[in-house]
Amino acid sequence: MSLCPPYAPFFGFAGVASAMIFSTVGAAFGTAKSGIGIAGLGTFKPELIMKSLIPVVMSGIIAVYGLVVSVLIAGGLKPTDYPLYAGFIHLGAGLACGFTGLAAGYAIGYVGDSCVRAYVFESKVFVTMVLILIFAEVLGLYGLIVALIMNSHATEAHCT
Amino acid sequence: MSGQAAPGKLIAQQAEQQGGVLAKLVIFALALGFVPISSYFLSRDYLWAGNTIYAAITAIISANLVLVAYIIESVREESRLRAREKQQQPAESKKDR
Repeated sequence: MSLCPPYAPFFGFAGVASAMIFSTVGAAFGTAKSGIGIAGLGTFKPELIMKSLIPVVMSGIIAVYGLVVSVLIAGGLKPTDYPLYAGFIHLGAGLACGFTGLAAGYAIGYVGDSCVRAYVFESKVFVTMVLILIFAEVLGLYGLIVALIMNSHATEAHCT
Repeated sequence: MSGQAAPGKLIAQQAEQQGGVLAKLVIFALALGFVPISSYFLSRDYLWAGNTIYAAITAIISANLVLVAYIIESVREESRLRAREKQQQPAESKKDR
């Protein structure tokens, strides 16, 4: 059992891919679901469209979180002298960011859809919507923080 | 006669608004894609001397700043629209008389 087997980069690359893939799935769900509500609002009050696009921008930020973690992990991958410890860390970091991004995008989608529809009738829903969306977005931020903390330990193991 | 001109004016007004909105949205979409990644690489190389964690935190802060700028801009645009509507209403009522 060696510390640096040749299949270790598999886990590293799987971490990079999963960070990007799952956070993008979450962002896509958030964009699509809130886009349905925005299309509904657009038929009644087109002047409110720019305010109602805030859920879409927040879903974009979830995807940016996944992108930043992918770039961060990919910067630490090496073809040789890559311990399995580092591979597992990178996989864990990618999964942490990816699945929390999925959860955040899910929440942003549903909240964005219903709040944007309610905004047609009651303009005070806007502040409520922004507050709920911020709470939904920090779920993705927590996953990113955990990914950063895990990734900082990736250089601790050595092959000898 | 002002009744016949009103729909045309309304459509022209909305077209002018939509053009401005589209340009703003494109700018914000490009900023949301470009600013975090560029701030990550630039801050990692020039600000934090290779420390990737601080560079990632800088990228996250810049992405959230783009979001805050978008929220502020959308609220300002609505208040601008309200001010314009209030300005135009007395002009139309004078014409009707």
